Amino acid sequence: MNWIPSFFRPSYAWLFALLIPVVVFYFLKMRRTRLEISSLALWRQVINDQRVNAPFQKFKRNILLYLQLLLLTLLALAAMQPFIPGASARQQYLPIIIDCSASMGAVDADGTSRLDLAKEQISDIVEGLLPGQQLTLISVGATTRRLTEFTDNKPLLRDALEDLRVDDVPSRVADGLRLAQALSRTHNIERVRLYSDGNLPTKPNPATGFPMAEIDFDLTFPVDFFQIDPVRNNIGITAFNARRSSADEWDVFVRVESAVDAGSEAEVIMSANGEVMGSDQVILNAGESQRLVFSVDATIDQNLEVELRPRGTDALKADNTAWLNLPRGRQLTVFCPKKLRTFRHAFQALEGALVEPNEDGEAFQKEYDLVVSDKLEDVDQPSAVSLFIGMVPEKLRDQLTVEEENSEVVDWMRDAQILQHVMLKDVVISQLPKKQQGVEDNEIEQAGFEIIAHGTQGPLILKQRDGISVKYYFLFHTDKSTLPYRVGFPVICSNLISEAMQLASLSEIRAPATGVLPELSFDKNEAVRVTNPLGKHDERTTNDDGILAGVPAPSVGQYEIRAGGELKTKVGVGLLNPEETSLLAVDKLYFNELSVDAEIEQLDTDKPLWPMLAAVGFFVLLFEWWYFQKKPAGIPD
Amino acid sequence: MSVAVSQFTSLLPNDVLARAEKMRLNPLNRRTNRMRGEHLSGKGGTSIEFSDYRDYVPGDDMRYIDWNIFARLNQPYLKLYAHEEEMHVAILLDSSTSMAFEGKFDLARQIAASLGVMGLMNVERVSVYTCGPGGPEAPFLKPCSGRVALKKFFGFLENIEVGGEIPIEQSVETVLSQHSGKGIVVLLSDFLTFGDIGRAFNLLHGSGLEIYAVQILGPAELNPELTGDLRFVDSETSQTVDVSSVGELLGLYHAHLDGLQEYLAAEARRRSGRFLRISSDDDLKDVLFDKLLRRAWIR
Repeated sequence: MNWIPSFFRPSYAWLFALLIPVVVFYFLKMRRTRLEISSLALWRQVINDQRVNAPFQKFKRNILLYLQLLLLTLLALAAMQPFIPGASARQQYLPIIIDCSASMGAVDADGTSRLDLAKEQISDIVEGLLPGQQLTLISVGATTRRLTEFTDNKPLLRDALEDLRVDDVPSRVADGLRLAQALSRTHNIERVRLYSDGNLPTKPNPATGFPMAEIDFDLTFPVDFFQIDPVRNNIGITAFNARRSSADEWDVFVRVESAVDAGSEAEVIMSANGEVMGSDQVILNAGESQRLVFSVDATIDQNLEVELRPRGTDALKADNTAWLNLPRGRQLTVFCPKKLRTFRHAFQALEGALVEPNEDGEAFQKEYDLVVSDKLEDVDQPSAVSLFIGMVPEKLRDQLTVEEENSEVVDWMRDAQILQHVMLKDVVISQLPKKQQGVEDNEIEQAGFEIIAHGTQGPLILKQRDGISVKYYFLFHTDKSTLPYRVGFPVICSNLISEAMQLASLSEIRAPATGVLPELSFDKNEAVRVTNPLGKHDERTTNDDGILAGVPAPSVGQYEIRAGGELKTKVGVGLLNPEETSLLAVDKLYFNELSVDAEIEQLDTDKPLWPMLAAVGFFVLLFEWWYFQKKPAGIPD
Repeated sequence: MSVAVSQFTSLLPNDVLARAEKMRLNPLNRRTNRMRGEHLSGKGGTSIEFSDYRDYVPGDDMRYIDWNIFARLNQPYLKLYAHEEEMHVAILLDSSTSMAFEGKFDLARQIAASLGVMGLMNVERVSVYTCGPGGPEAPFLKPCSGRVALKKFFGFLENIEVGGEIPIEQSVETVLSQHSGKGIVVLLSDFLTFGDIGRAFNLLHGSGLEIYAVQILGPAELNPELTGDLRFVDSETSQTVDVSSVGELLGLYHAHLDGLQEYLAAEARRRSGRFLRISSDDDLKDVLFDKLLRRAWIR
């Protein structure tokens, strides 16, 4: 740091000119008052004595003048606003991105969280703001938001900083950088500061195998990454899910992990419908995990809560609890017309599926989990999963036609759920779905359809998400292909059943994690109130399908949903994030074209000196008052 | 109906006068003449007291042989008796211009009056000399004694005017040229002089006068409250001196003031005299009947 001060307002140096009239008036005031005294005998002796210490006395004689000159000098210097230049260049507009993810809530031995430390460092920047400098604070948590505009209003910045809280969600630093990039279009931003503990989503470095934090962002400005010292000791729940092991039982899995740098031990307590149903002990070394299994009755609705009680230091409390609601077990209801024999045959062979209409043509269910049909009128039938055969979606009727020609499968998405473990090569199709001239695949995608199998002249199989439900469209009729005779056909049916069971929460359920509440089904256009774990209310309305979606869930805990004043359901969300629980911190960020290392030492900001000068001036004034009020030495009481 | 009581003198309240009349000066050293008994008569004095023995020589008055000693030692010894010689009380009243400040001269005059009354009422020869006016113009009161001299004494004091610049040490020489007789000299002054007070004390002591020195200073001289830059003007000589930041010099001033007091007291002590510093603010009764009485200046 350069200790030679600079001046922000050197023009105020004109105040030094006031020293001249101060001196002039001081000496003008030194006209002496005549005073007749009885005798000069004593005073002459006093003055002669004084002259022995002449040099010091000369100073004391004019000490008032010197003090006033010193005071005026200090005031003039303060007005010129001197500052010690910091190591970093002074920027007019400085965005500061603050990571408010769950790991920033990790506390050390004295209870100070990472976010508290970041606030302290940022407070120093706020206090050291020089005239002309403006800050904006961007928090990255459940959402990315600007806490303030670009401002130099220190109380506003301090209040915004004070109100900052940790969100129990994973880090999303890229969103903050994108917001800063958007700001750079309207403000001259030279650099951006990022305050984070470095606990970011990582993947193994291909070269070294060590975890590296990759951020999908093209840096258009330098980023100064200030890493907050991470803490070590933590144990938390990173996964909580259930799988139907039988018609009457769920297997509930709890994964517990410890932080990368320190082992821990804890007690895991499982409660069902408010009653403790089991517990277990875990002892983990650094970076280890352990999976616990509990068996839960599937014949009734189960509201499960798993709680972790660590022994010893636990840095992060947010990952110590998770919730999971298990519906009562039942069969999957499937609607498949009798005409589609190949499908009905495949479904009836699968366990847990109830296919209607039955052989007598009777259908008792009002709603089905899976609908398979080749009729247009069944498109609007509500279900979790639908499969329409030999049908072009209405939205794409202008883009696609089906001709009676042969076609074959050119390629397909092997990771599409319906096509997992399915081989479509060499399937012969006697219908040719065809794109109209000029129609591109992205038009189909923009219409909301995903092409999961391609034919020679157009898509063959489409997937559409409609809220929480999924619709598949086989543009060709399976009866007009060799598909039902292929081994893959029952696999497709099995995949359909699995997906329907997942969406109906009948086969496998994962505990919801923080971020957004899972979609919930209520009445259409119903007003609901969502109360979060902190007690705050959020008024919402379900959509035309009765789905409540997009409810933010930034905090760990139970969210209560009420409609008409009546409690409809409770949904608990946990952190359930291995990376946040591990507290693994990286000191290097990899952007698309370059990397940024964490700053080794804090960059020194410009240090304004005017408060110190003003304080010194104040004390000079106090001293001057005291000096001329005090009783001179030697005077007897 | 109230009865107006007339003051005997404007200098002293009647009660102070009445009390002073009953008191007397108490010098440390009574000047005496040793005389043989045959010189006793006609010599005056107010008391005879045994003093000493000496060998009898033919021709001495046999009435003064101590027969008790002769009976024991079988040798004649002559008793010697002493008698007090008349004591002179010379009051040296500083009436220079410097005494005009803050009532110093008034108090000095009252003290002079009180001590003079004590001397007169005890048949001591009281004289008053003034310092200030120089040369033959300086008025003085010739030695007088007894109650009959009170009126003349008070009249003299009442008519003294303040003025002049002759310092006290210079006045002492003039006084000694006019005064004879041993006893007490009462110096009533502020002693703020450039001259050598020690020499003046020497002259007085050498003339057989026991020194009663009373320094009277005004409150502004004892504890000046001055600040800023001032030009001091001497009231007697009109000389000036410029002083800057007077407030800063007050400590030094007090040091010098205390030093002057110590010097005067030491000089008086060395010559078996007495010294007292009072303020012109002090009450006369307090000075006479407390300070002087406690110090055994008077009894």
